[in-house]
Amino acid sequence: MNGLRLSSFGLRGFVGESLTPEVVMDFATAFGTFADGGRVLVGRDTRLSSPMIQASVTAGLQAAGCEVLDLGVCPTPIIQFTVPQRRASGAIVVTAGHMRAGANALMLVSANGGFVDPVSGEAVLDIYHSRDFRRADWQHLGAVTELTDFAEPYFAALEAHLDVAAIRRANLTVAIDVVNGAGCRFLEPFAQRLGFRLVAVNAEESGYMARDPEPRPRNARQVASIMPLVHAHVGFVASSDLGRVSLVAEDCETASEEYTFPLIADHVLARTPGTVVSNCCTTRIVDDVARAHGCRVVKCAVGQAYVMAALTDEQGAIGGEGNGSVAVPRFSRAFDGLLTIGLVLEDLAQRGGTLSGRLRELPRYHIAKRQVYGDPRDCYRALEGLERDTDWSAEAALDHTDGLRADWEDGWVHVRASRTEPMLRIISESRLRPQAEGRAADLARRLEREL
Amino acid sequence: MKEFLKVGISGVRGVVGETFTPQLAASFARAFGVFVGRGSVVVGRDTRPSGDMIERAVTAGLQSVGCQPLLAGVVPTPTVGILVRDLAARGGIAITASHNPAPWNALKFMGRDGLFLDRTRAEEFFDIYHQGRFDLVPEEGLPLVETIPDPTGAHFRRVNDYVDAAAIRRRGFRVAVDACNGVGAVHTRRFLEALGCTVTQCHDAPTGIFEREAEPLPEHLGTLAALVTAHSCDVGFAQDPDGDRLAVVDELGRPIGEDLTVALAVQDVLDYHARGPVAIHLSTSRAVQDVAEKRGAAVTRTRIGEINVVQTMLALGAPVGGEGNGGVIVPAVHPGRDSYIAMALVLELLAKEGRTVSQMRDTIPSYALLKDKIRARPEQIPEALRLLRRHYEKGKINLLDGVFVEFADAWVHARPSNTEPVIRVSAEAPTREAAARLLQETHAVIAPALGFKPV
Repeated sequence: MNGLRLSSFGLRGFVGESLTPEVVMDFATAFGTFADGGRVLVGRDTRLSSPMIQASVTAGLQAAGCEVLDLGVCPTPIIQFTVPQRRASGAIVVTAGHMRAGANALMLVSANGGFVDPVSGEAVLDIYHSRDFRRADWQHLGAVTELTDFAEPYFAALEAHLDVAAIRRANLTVAIDVVNGAGCRFLEPFAQRLGFRLVAVNAEESGYMARDPEPRPRNARQVASIMPLVHAHVGFVASSDLGRVSLVAEDCETASEEYTFPLIADHVLARTPGTVVSNCCTTRIVDDVARAHGCRVVKCAVGQAYVMAALTDEQGAIGGEGNGSVAVPRFSRAFDGLLTIGLVLEDLAQRGGTLSGRLRELPRYHIAKRQVYGDPRDCYRALEGLERDTDWSAEAALDHTDGLRADWEDGWVHVRASRTEPMLRIISESRLRPQAEGRAADLARRLEREL
Repeated sequence: MKEFLKVGISGVRGVVGETFTPQLAASFARAFGVFVGRGSVVVGRDTRPSGDMIERAVTAGLQSVGCQPLLAGVVPTPTVGILVRDLAARGGIAITASHNPAPWNALKFMGRDGLFLDRTRAEEFFDIYHQGRFDLVPEEGLPLVETIPDPTGAHFRRVNDYVDAAAIRRRGFRVAVDACNGVGAVHTRRFLEALGCTVTQCHDAPTGIFEREAEPLPEHLGTLAALVTAHSCDVGFAQDPDGDRLAVVDELGRPIGEDLTVALAVQDVLDYHARGPVAIHLSTSRAVQDVAEKRGAAVTRTRIGEINVVQTMLALGAPVGGEGNGGVIVPAVHPGRDSYIAMALVLELLAKEGRTVSQMRDTIPSYALLKDKIRARPEQIPEALRLLRRHYEKGKINLLDGVFVEFADAWVHARPSNTEPVIRVSAEAPTREAAARLLQETHAVIAPALGFKPV
C-alpha cells in the first residue's frame, strides 16, 4: 500500500511512493481552481521533502493563475493567521505535522484562516477528480512573491492579545521543544516579545525528527531532563508544525496532552465566557471546566476543520482537541501552539504558583489510548460489527458524531478509524485507572476479533 | 481547436495553459532523470513569463527521482550545454520555446556531452516517459537544489579566448543590440562591454513579453535598424529569445539576412582560425557554401535540426558550420548554436579586415532566399511531399529531409516542421523573382494534397 490519502482536509502520502510532484500539482491546481485564481499563501515545515513539494504546489497554483505569496519555512498557525491579514483566498501548507519521517501532506486553508470546511474540501476533491482545472494563459500565470515581513503583524497581535507585562514580571524560564520543525526560527523573537528566558530544545531547522513528533508525555523526556538543570518553570513539547503542545510541569512531571485544552479553557473562560467546541473524544475535564464557568460545550467530529466549522457556527469562545490543540477565534482560526504557550504563561504569571499546582486544581480522570491496526476498508466494517455484537448496558448513551462513542456515568469510550493512518483509535476515560485501562483493552480485543 | 503539443527531436513544446502544463513538465523531467541516471542536471531557462513556473515543476520532477537540479536561472541555451560539460552533470534541460511566440514554452534536453539528444537517444528517453515506471527516491534520498553562481562566466570566457579579443577591443565598436526581451537582455551588454564595445539596446527588458517578432528575420528588425542609424553604430545584432541565433544589421541600418551571419562566421573561422570542412543544413543559403568553397573547404549539407548539423560537424571535424537561420556553430567553443560566438566572430572579422559590415556583405555572392510555411495537417504531409518528388523526379533530388531539389544556380526545399503543424518551404535563386517562382511552383504542386485547388 502506498499510503496516499485524499480527503476534504488535504492530501497526505509518502515521498518516493505516492506523493509525486504531479499529484501535488494536480491537487494545488484543483485548489487554485476552487479559489478562482485568487491570491494564495504557501509555506512549509522543515521536512527534507518539503522544498520539492512546495515547488510543486507553487507551480500548480501559478498554472491556475493564483498569485502566490511564499512564506517559506513557517509554522502552520502563523500561515493561517496571515491569510486574512493579506486578504488572500486561502493557503496551502506543506506539513506532515505529527506524521513520521517520509510522510508529507498538504493542508488547505480558507480565506478566514481556518482549515477549509468539509463542504469546501469536498468541492476541491471534485475538481481534482474531474480534472476540470482553471488554466491561466501565459499572460495571466500567477506571480510569486517571497514574503519576509509576515512575522511582525503576527507577534504584534500576539502581544496585544496577551498580558505581556505580567509575563515579563513573572521572569519565567521556559523550555520549548519544537522537534527541529517549522517553529525553530520563531522561538527567539517569541521569547523576546513575551519577555521570558528561552531554553530551546531540538530547535535546529534540520528536518531531522529528533523524537516522535506527537506532543505527549513519552516524547517529553528530553525537555523534562533539561528542565531541572536550567531551573525552568515550565516546559512545552510541540508538534513539528507548532499546532499542538503538551505540558511539562516544574517538577518534571509530564502532563498528558489532554490537559492542555482544559487548562487554557479554564483560563480563557474566566475572562471571556462563551461556548466551548470540543471533539467527541476529548477528556471530560473540558466539560467539567465549562460547567464550572457556566458555559456550554458543543461536540463535533475529530479534526481541526470540524472544530473550526463548529466554532464559526456557534460563535464559540474557544475550541480544541485532546491531542494538545487549542484555538481562540478572537485571535485566529488556527490551532496555535505559540498562542497556547503564551496563554499558559499568562495564566501562571497572573495567578502566581506552579504549573503542577495549577494542574492539580483541574478534575482528574484517567485516559487510556489504544490502537488497533487494520486496513481502512475493514476498519469501518469492524466498527459496525462492534456496535452490533456488543451488549451495551442499558445506561450507555451511544453517539455517532465520529466513529462510535459510549458514555456511562463514570466514564466513556470512543473508537474511530484514523484519517491519517491504517488503524482504529480507541480512547477510554474514567475516574479510575483500572476501569479506563480495562475498557480500552476490552474494546481492543473485540475489534481485533471483528478484524 | 487546442494548439498542438509537439513531442519530438526538438524537445517537448506546447502552449502554456493549454497543452503545456507544469504537470507535463514535471513528468518529462522525471523521465529525463531516469534516462540520465541519478546525478546532477543543469536547468536553465529563457525569460518567458511561464519560465519560473516550469522551472519549479522541472526541479521537483528531477528531485523526485534523485537527480540534483543545478539551477542556472535565465541563461542562453548554449550556456546550459557548456555548464553540463563544465560541471560534469548527467544532462541539461533548457526551458525555452526558442523562436516560438510568447504563449509557447518547451523543454529541450541535452545529454552529458552538452549536446541535444539525437533521434535515437530521444526515442529511448520518450520510451521511458511512456512506460511511466520511475524509481522514486524516498525522503532521505532527495537531493538538494543548487544555484550555479555566475552561470555565463565560463561560456563568455571561452568565447573571448577563441577570438582575438585584443583586436576587437582596439577597434572600440559601437554596437546596437536587440535582445527581443529575451536572455540577451540580461547578458549581452556585459558580454560586449568586455570586448570593448559601446552598447545601445532596444527591447532590453527581460520580460519575455516580446516587443518584436521572436525570429530575427529582416522584416522584424526595424527598431534595431533605426537604433543603428540614430547612434551611428558600426553594427546591429538581433538575437532570438534564447540567444542561440543571431541576425546582423549593417552600419546603414540594413538587415543583411540571417544566413549571412553564418557566411561571415565561416569566413572568419576559415581565414583566421582553422581550415577544414564546413557543415550546413539543407535550407542554408548558397552564399555560405560559396564562401566556404572559395576557401577550399568541402561543404556538407545535413538534415534540418541542430543536432543533425552538430553530429555531422563532429564526425567531419568541421571547425565551423551552422544553420541558415542565424545559428552559428563553432565546436571548439560549444557544439551548438550560439549567438555569442557569432557576435564575437563578426566583430573579429570587421576588426581584422578593417572594413564595414556593408563592405563585407558586398564581397559575398548575393542570392534571394525566400521562406514560406504552409499549414498542413500531419496526415496530409507525406502525400504533399510525394507529389513534389514526382514533379521533380528528373532533377537533382536530395531526400535526406523532406524534398530538396538543386538547380544550377538555385534550390528549393520542402519539409515537415519539427516544431509546428506546417510544411516549411524555402527557395533560393539569384533573383527574388526566380525564388518566388520556385515557391509558387511548389505551392501549386502540393496544393492537391492539402485540399486546395491548384493556383
